[in-house]
Amino acid sequence: MAIFEHGDIKIEVDEDGFMQEPDQWNEEVAKALATTEEVHEMTDEHWKLVNYLRDYYKQFGIAPMIRKLCKETGFPLKKVYELFPSGPAKGACKVAGLAKPTGCV
Amino acid sequence: MAKNRVKIEDISKPSEKLTHLDIDEMMPLPPPYDKIEEQPGWKKLSDDAIENLETSLDDTIAIGIPKPKNEEEEKELVEKFLRGLEKLLQKENNWTFLQPLLLSLEHCAKCQTCTKACPIYEASGKQDVYRPTFRSEVWRRIVHKYLKPGGKFFGRLSHGDIDLNWTTVARLMELSYRCTLCRRCAQTCPIGIDNGLITHELRKVFSQEMGIAPKEIHEKGSVLQLEVGSSTGMNAEVVKDNIDFIDEDMQDLTGIEVHTPWDKKGADLLLIHNAGEILAWPENPGAFAIILEKAGIDWTLSSDIAAYDGINYGLWYDDFQLGKVAIKHAEAAKNLGVNRIVVGECGHAHKALTVIADRVLTGDFNIPRVSAMTLLEEIVFSGKIKFDPSKNDFPVTLHDPCNMVRLMGIVEPQRRILRYLCPQFREMTPHGVNNYCCGGGSGFAIMSGHNFQDWRLAVSGRMKLKQIVEAFDDHPEPETNKYLCAPCSNCKGQLRDLFRYYGVREKSGIIYGGLVELIVNAMVDIKQPFINFDEMQ
Repeated sequence: MAIFEHGDIKIEVDEDGFMQEPDQWNEEVAKALATTEEVHEMTDEHWKLVNYLRDYYKQFGIAPMIRKLCKETGFPLKKVYELFPSGPAKGACKVAGLAKPTGCV
Repeated sequence: MAKNRVKIEDISKPSEKLTHLDIDEMMPLPPPYDKIEEQPGWKKLSDDAIENLETSLDDTIAIGIPKPKNEEEEKELVEKFLRGLEKLLQKENNWTFLQPLLLSLEHCAKCQTCTKACPIYEASGKQDVYRPTFRSEVWRRIVHKYLKPGGKFFGRLSHGDIDLNWTTVARLMELSYRCTLCRRCAQTCPIGIDNGLITHELRKVFSQEMGIAPKEIHEKGSVLQLEVGSSTGMNAEVVKDNIDFIDEDMQDLTGIEVHTPWDKKGADLLLIHNAGEILAWPENPGAFAIILEKAGIDWTLSSDIAAYDGINYGLWYDDFQLGKVAIKHAEAAKNLGVNRIVVGECGHAHKALTVIADRVLTGDFNIPRVSAMTLLEEIVFSGKIKFDPSKNDFPVTLHDPCNMVRLMGIVEPQRRILRYLCPQFREMTPHGVNNYCCGGGSGFAIMSGHNFQDWRLAVSGRMKLKQIVEAFDDHPEPETNKYLCAPCSNCKGQLRDLFRYYGVREKSGIIYGGLVELIVNAMVDIKQPFINFDEMQ
């Protein structure tokens, strides 16, 4: 198990940098994880996406459909990739502290 | 010829790496992807991985095998491996695949015809360790030396020497995940040796006897599917909510009212999608629903555990997992009393449920199981839906999923549809049963740990990228929208990553998607295009 350190933050992550214990997530952790995802600054748009992901995850225990994410946030997929260059599943979910998506997605 | 010549017996000799990969020695890509400096290359393995995991095969790892703590543990694992190999050769322990395996044990003439057929060997710059015969030959030598009477003396003399130690086993394990099981090698072998099968059987020993398999396909794959209902983690409540969303979305997009039926007793057919479609490519299940509704088909989905997810990852590495999932699929159909199961656009699900599970699904579990390709062909040519092929007047090519096409022989139905509905349809070279794998077969498309994604995009997907680009060489300009039809979720996952890695959408104007999307796009009743070149990936 790898440890991710950034400033005062020290959390357990898997080999792709996804959090192992989502309960430890907070905004500071998100900002730290964002640095690993080519996100230089967490803007309001980044937070809108991250907060939507977290709310959905709390309710259903997994990440939402990408199309649902786009519809609910009003961001087209292209915009999601602009915000998180490695995409909704690998980039945005990681910063939102969700587990790595599984299955053929 | 690659610089790194590796002999079979070298696999047993500890070293930092058995071979090393250089992008500038790999098969060249066509323009505009031909400049090595513009290719993304790959990440180095982390120091942490090198310290704790077995990384001595090449420059990547697929499984991430923990290093044994001491020699005793190493010996124990080697012994387990050998006992597992023994079981593979016994009827009572391997009744599923024993006969073809025995044939492949004895008769390889070592002519190397198969190496030319292997996209991984060719694309890698002809790396010896990726020859289809390399791992098979290691396996043969171990069997002849360690499992045959007098083998320590005669086996070595007549079949070549090998030393069975932990290094051999650890490298062989990783090496069994450098092949996509596309079985182009088996197809070309003049005497019918199946090197793909041997790879598959080795993976079985590692999973069934040693408990070692990539976590994406086992722990987070088939285990999760049997526990929660889907490897995506969707339980029945979530999947129904998502399908409701897709139904609404389809209505907004097309004006056609769709209500996907759930658990409808006595329906004519049970449709099983790969659940990854629902989450990542919802236009695919959405298009299916539109077509089935418009054609007046009596169909249903099932919300039983595993029955709304057609995946059966066990096909790639573990017969027990394969059997358990196949039984769940058949059970759901039996409970609903449907006449047949239709497998959606997922290649490995096709092979698992319609062919391999034949050995398990007997008696009243033997419910007819058919491909969506044939059902769609029936519908498209039935006259029940009106089409205007000029709506699909852009260049289209077809990727043949290995499981569906080479391994099952479903070649023509999807082509007859494309020839009818897509005026600019053209074939790749080669195609049909001679196709090349997308490079994501046998679970690779969902395996991205450490730097394995870089390997599957730079090496195993290299040949496919070349083929796709060349199929459209009459329209290389990115301004012309082009469509790669890939009727398989696993292939689509690989293609998505491949396109993003090389910038194919931007540089060549190619998008990928399934077959049903093209069918709906050509429907007269659809007011606006179903395929959106700006928004699709």
